[in-house]
Amino acid sequence: MVELRGVRHRYDGRLVLDLDHFAVSAGALLAVVGHNGAGKSTLLRLLALLEAPTEGQMLWENTPVPRRPPLALRRRVTLVEQRPILLRGSVLENLGFGLRVRGMSRAAATKEAEAVAEQFGLTPLLARRRHELSDGEVQRVAVARALAVRPDVLLLDEPTSSADRAASGALYRALAQAQASRPFAVCIASHQLEDAYRWADDIRALAEGRLSPVTPENLFRVELPPGSGATKHARVGAIDIAVTTDRTGPVVLAVPPTDIFVSREPLPSSARNVLTGRVTRIAAHRSSGGGGVAVTADVGVELVAVVTPEAARELALAPDMPVVFSFKASAVRVF
Amino acid sequence: MDFLAEGFRRALALLISGDPEVLGIAFLTLKIAVVATTIACGIGLPLGYFLATRRFWGRRAALTAVNTALAFPTVVVGLLLYGLLSRRGPLGGLGWLYTWQAIVVGDVLLALPIAAALSAAAVQSVDPRVRRTAVTLGADRWLTAWTVAREARFALAAVITAAFGQVVAEIGAAMMLGGNIRGSTRTLTTAVALYTSQGDFGLALALGLLLIVIALAVNVTLQVLQGKGGG
Repeated sequence: MVELRGVRHRYDGRLVLDLDHFAVSAGALLAVVGHNGAGKSTLLRLLALLEAPTEGQMLWENTPVPRRPPLALRRRVTLVEQRPILLRGSVLENLGFGLRVRGMSRAAATKEAEAVAEQFGLTPLLARRRHELSDGEVQRVAVARALAVRPDVLLLDEPTSSADRAASGALYRALAQAQASRPFAVCIASHQLEDAYRWADDIRALAEGRLSPVTPENLFRVELPPGSGATKHARVGAIDIAVTTDRTGPVVLAVPPTDIFVSREPLPSSARNVLTGRVTRIAAHRSSGGGGVAVTADVGVELVAVVTPEAARELALAPDMPVVFSFKASAVRVF
Repeated sequence: MDFLAEGFRRALALLISGDPEVLGIAFLTLKIAVVATTIACGIGLPLGYFLATRRFWGRRAALTAVNTALAFPTVVVGLLLYGLLSRRGPLGGLGWLYTWQAIVVGDVLLALPIAAALSAAAVQSVDPRVRRTAVTLGADRWLTAWTVAREARFALAAVITAAFGQVVAEIGAAMMLGGNIRGSTRTLTTAVALYTSQGDFGLALALGLLLIVIALAVNVTLQVLQGKGGG
């Protein structure tokens, strides 16, 4: 549906996005994950047609998008920013804003807005104004406001960053409900992998403005110390990760989940990284394609390993169980 | 001190009695101020929005030019327009010199930079997310501008007040372009200057008080309108 080809985007000459190809297909539920500053918000602003890429081409249903997209095209996509803002007026007026600018009568827009409010549990807030709402409520209103205009592509930038767990769940359920009644594509930018895994069909990782070649788990922004040796130790949270690289200074480390050995006891091996901890979560690994199991453990930082269902069964993996994650220094990707 | 007290007494008597000359001067001043402010803000506010929101080559130079024009001496504007509108000038054919229209032209030129520069600053102070939100929710160019303007309504009301204040209190261009002709182009400011020089302090004071009342009334009206706007 929306496609970026050979896109390089710069701010004041600084390259912030460098994508050979990125597409959001119709009806997709896509998550873009990555650190703060990885380029997620910029990507969403391009997809939302709010900015034109400095270089490269953007296509909508295989047709190139002009630098100043026509209004009819702009109205097919909506973005909810990471820290959304409500416009002047009540919540009800905000929910109806997109409909009113499309020429809908006040009565019809109010009716639609009330329906969306009910879907998102916002009915008690309809008369309130922005200064009477919490950050989490503003975020919910902003998502509902975006959905009210029935976009073909809904872009959400960290939609649950101000929400508690229950509110976050309610928001995703309301989204799923809306998607079930009317197919549209959703692209969520998040640094919370749990959200991404729980709700997305497809996950892409961004690091330093580029699509990461590895699966998006276990990305860490670190400072590699100077030194002549090939093996360096990077401090990540409470642990040190051994990594084979010539690079020094600020880098992003990626530990491919499929390169992590999972065991119940430390194994004698050549792995330079042997980390003990406890299992925090076990879930189907949706983007591995082969029906893998994603085992998340707190080993000082949260790491995800992907194992086969057979291995998970044999190890009798369960939440809160002690576990050892091992991986070679050379398995750690640096970029 | 006596002449001050006498001046105030005469001023009040003129105002209470509804002296036709005083009311005529006040009406003309109000007419010129309203027309000039409307034209200046009608051009200046959209120009300010454009300067604040569009990125184009020369934008910074345009902003600098507008800000510099804020400090333009009124007599210089009057002088330039006098040259243009005088019979031998390129716009002499209009026959506007020493008419209220000429004063309006001068006032517009003086108020336009105020309207443009201050509204650009007002729009720039609006959270950029407001504009992006309106755009991403499908607002066209005009509705987007309207949405941003609603957020900046207090600052924009102040812009209109400032433009009105400039126009209503202006004397240099009004004197040079209007000529201070009794019953035709005599405004409150030019009349105050004239009657003071003639020694009619009471009349000058009465007109000065009227000028303050008009400025106060406009400010109060705008504040009431802002209050009705809500949050």
